Amino acid sequence: MTFSWTSWLRGMALAGLLLAVAPVHAEYLRIQLRVYGLDCELCARGVSAYIQRMAGVKSVDVSLKKGLLEIVLTPGNTFKISDLRKRIRENGFRPMEATVTAIGEFNGSRFDVLGSDESYELGRHDTKTKAPMELTFDVH
Amino acid sequence: MIFLPCVFCLSVVPVWGDGEGPAFGYSTAILGPGNASVETAFMWRSGVAMFGPQVSYGLMPNLQISVSAPFHLDHGDHPTGRFTAMMPGDPQVEVLLGWRFFHKSPAIGTRNEATLYAGLSGLTQDVPRADGPPLRRQPGMYVAIAAGHVSRRYDVWAGAGYQRYGTWSQGIDDRQSSSLLTSFVVGWRPSFFDHDYPKPDVRFFWETTGDLIGQAQRDVPPPGSSGGHDHGTAPPPPPPNSSGIVVLPNSGGAGIFSGPTFLITYHSVAFQGGVLFALWNQPNGLQPPERVRAVAGVTYYFLGRHK
Repeated sequence: MTFSWTSWLRGMALAGLLLAVAPVHAEYLRIQLRVYGLDCELCARGVSAYIQRMAGVKSVDVSLKKGLLEIVLTPGNTFKISDLRKRIRENGFRPMEATVTAIGEFNGSRFDVLGSDESYELGRHDTKTKAPMELTFDVH
Repeated sequence: MIFLPCVFCLSVVPVWGDGEGPAFGYSTAILGPGNASVETAFMWRSGVAMFGPQVSYGLMPNLQISVSAPFHLDHGDHPTGRFTAMMPGDPQVEVLLGWRFFHKSPAIGTRNEATLYAGLSGLTQDVPRADGPPLRRQPGMYVAIAAGHVSRRYDVWAGAGYQRYGTWSQGIDDRQSSSLLTSFVVGWRPSFFDHDYPKPDVRFFWETTGDLIGQAQRDVPPPGSSGGHDHGTAPPPPPPNSSGIVVLPNSGGAGIFSGPTFLITYHSVAFQGGVLFALWNQPNGLQPPERVRAVAGVTYYFLGRHK
């Protein structure tokens, strides 16, 4: 077998192409969620510990004064905001609006967060971008 | 009786007060599913000192179970009754279910909620009395309701509960006093302590409780019957009423108590305590009136265990 620069370049190009189209996991990157009802240190600790144990959660910060949870997620997570809201309700609190940073793609005017089965109507359509993109948006 | 030392050993390191709310009065259930807490409370009232371990667990959203087993360190001379919302006032094991049937969170740091409690209890200690042998009580049941409004600055709680002891085995056991306990609590978090998480959370309460304790009863077996238990060489009891029941005169009464309490939580530990002073106290018999009641407790919380 002889080494061929042409074959090597062809192989590298194919590998690059495969990596470029590799499936993207659910990619919520950061979530800021307003939560009503958090009034005490113990409430904050309970909710924080509860969410910290959800798969894909890297860190949770709580502000009692702002009633705000800031959740940072690990790359390649399968996190769902619907699960997050459910867990907060289970603890006796009320999840409200959120500011979300996620990787996804537009499907018409909807933004699909890749791999999560969750999408959001953002009321705009970025026709120039077909590839997955990182976007920060508000969820009500 | 093996149960008591076990619970005691479990409780001496991590202990709990009533958790998020008042020390004496009623508050709503707070544990989420899979969360747990362990408490030890020291309760004192005139002539009576008790140590009360309690374990609580969040069974599912809005449903919590607690098991408490207070016991006397120093018993009084006369039957007493319940004087804290979440724990019996006599030596017994109580299993208490708390169902938070209503909760709304209308704003940041604000909740309105209500909880229904129902429990069963059984005797653990025979308590000596000044005017007779120990009362060998029947099992009891307890129902209570609590509602509250909490916010970052002010809290308001109100509640009422009724404890009643069984009568189905009359002629075999005595009957402890039934009791009705009510409470009204206002709380505030001074701005000086209004720090954001994770800082120590300090709150102060002013608690007012009212209790109406019934008179204890002693069974008197009919002549020639083998029913009842041996009352030993105690002084002869008062004559039985038409139902064959002796109502013990020096038991029960009514009172209103009021005073300051506090709650400090940091990390997974809560320290709680306070003192209530008698505003009005009317014993049924010759018992010395109560002047002061006190509670001090520590709680350790096991949070976020649910996967």
